[in-house]
Amino acid sequence: MKKEIKPYILLLPAAIVLLGILTSGIVIALSQSLGYMPIIGLRELTLKYYVSIITDKGFLESLKFSLNISLFSSVIAVIVGVALAYSMLINKHRKSIEKILYILPIIVPHMVAAFLMFNILSQSGLLPRVLYYLGILKAQSDFPSLIFDRYGVGIVICYIWKEIPFVAMVVYTFISNINESLEEVAVNLGASRRQFFWYVMLPLSWPSIISSFIIIFAFSFGAFEVPYLIGPTTPKTLPVKAFIEYTNPDILNRPYAMALNVVLAFISLIIVWIYDKTLSLFCRNV
Amino acid sequence: MIKPSVCFAEMYRIKVLIWTRYLFHRGVWGRFMKKNVIFNIVIYLAVFLILLPLTVLILWGFSKRWPWPYVLPTEYSLRGVAYFLTGTGNSIKILLYSIGLSFVVTVITLVISVPAARALGLYEFKGKGFFKLFVLLPLIISPVAVGIGIQVFFIKIGLANTFLGVVVVHLIPCLPYGIRILTNVFEVLGESMEFQARTLGASKTQTFFYVTLPLISPGLISAAGLVFIVSFSQYFLTFIVGGGNVITLSMVMFPFIQSGDRMIASCYSIVFIVATLILLIVIEKRVKAYYTVENHFYI
Repeated sequence: MKKEIKPYILLLPAAIVLLGILTSGIVIALSQSLGYMPIIGLRELTLKYYVSIITDKGFLESLKFSLNISLFSSVIAVIVGVALAYSMLINKHRKSIEKILYILPIIVPHMVAAFLMFNILSQSGLLPRVLYYLGILKAQSDFPSLIFDRYGVGIVICYIWKEIPFVAMVVYTFISNINESLEEVAVNLGASRRQFFWYVMLPLSWPSIISSFIIIFAFSFGAFEVPYLIGPTTPKTLPVKAFIEYTNPDILNRPYAMALNVVLAFISLIIVWIYDKTLSLFCRNV
Repeated sequence: MIKPSVCFAEMYRIKVLIWTRYLFHRGVWGRFMKKNVIFNIVIYLAVFLILLPLTVLILWGFSKRWPWPYVLPTEYSLRGVAYFLTGTGNSIKILLYSIGLSFVVTVITLVISVPAARALGLYEFKGKGFFKLFVLLPLIISPVAVGIGIQVFFIKIGLANTFLGVVVVHLIPCLPYGIRILTNVFEVLGESMEFQARTLGASKTQTFFYVTLPLISPGLISAAGLVFIVSFSQYFLTFIVGGGNVITLSMVMFPFIQSGDRMIASCYSIVFIVATLILLIVIEKRVKAYYTVENHFYI
């Protein structure tokens, strides 16, 4: 076996599976979105479904809603996650029990996480009960429903709950591998703990922070279960909207649903591109 | 006469004093103060916020009646557990079926991941950066966007609504994890041990089975655990490709959560979490038997 082609041969099975399934999905969505559906007699390629998407107010609303949810939840999760990772690093001594605790939200599937939030934040959930018990609430209906609400507060909290431990674990793994002597050097040169964090720790851990941010942002942007279970009827997030359009029994609606999917996939690809660019930028600086 | 409350306060003050002295003397107090209290608060707050929803879940799973505005259930029962064990839903069978499906997915994922990870971890070649990004793609691209197209494609080639179809589609979210973790393992190990074996006259197969495989097995077990969890908790792809024919635990659980049947949904959720947790702990133990792998989160 020639040395040069060996890695490609080793990569072949994975590439075939990923490329084969992913592209077949995308190609089908693309062709149907362009109006190519021979089964129902549509053969002419057209861009009218894309035009109707872009001019549709509901689409823009969904897009804005999805982006807002992802952005808010990811930014908060990253900030708190980094703080948590740093706290874990400073309190090195106890580990095992906390590690299991932090892994819990990661292994809880999203639909269960949505259910947990429903149990706490809905009008019959634990939070209004406690507030009522404390005399802060006068009646059940006084509690603003945070589930199925217009702004997606429940969705955001659900993602935050799931993602903070994830960010914390990724960043913690990274910073706990940073050479300890760096801290000694910094302290020796007269840096306070705060200075050490801002000028040494944070710059070094940017790559792990950025990559965890992008992963949770992209995930929450494209995920289906949580907004479907505890999201409002309007606006819907983009994946939920795409799925509901797809399940519309009128087959003539199919190209429209597929066009939504293509737009969704396209936005995900843009996120990948941004990920690659920012990561290489930060890695070069470090 | 001293009021009882004052008396109590005084007693309490003395008690605290004694305890403080004691702790100070033992050095515990000093150590505690040196560690920034804020960081402790952050950690305990996080632990509390993680555990609170799960505690509520357990309470719901064993409650019979929990009307508004009670903070705790008024009556407890084992109806949910009984439903799970004996119910018409065949829950145990479905649980075993899910475990079987995820097991098959895990094995296939690992078989595909090992060579790919080897290529990415050990060799330098053109387009390596692209491939590294490419294997992460399924994590970032929306499962809805590809899932729907895949369903149409699978209907055409006859894979929709079959066990095999679901296994194949599960590979998409699982492969990135498998490949990433094993790539790291290969990067750390390097090739030198294999060269040793080859120099000593071992054949390629011998090298693989007697040198490479034992060396990567801790990483392999970690990867298996994570891949299993990813497959096990998959809902959307199972739903859209399995089309109601392939019924996993997530598929049964979803309608209960959707309809808000809290007791049954809680029971399913508890079973789900406990099953995953047991698996993880077993894996952790197995890995520790080889050597201490610090963390599973390489991504």
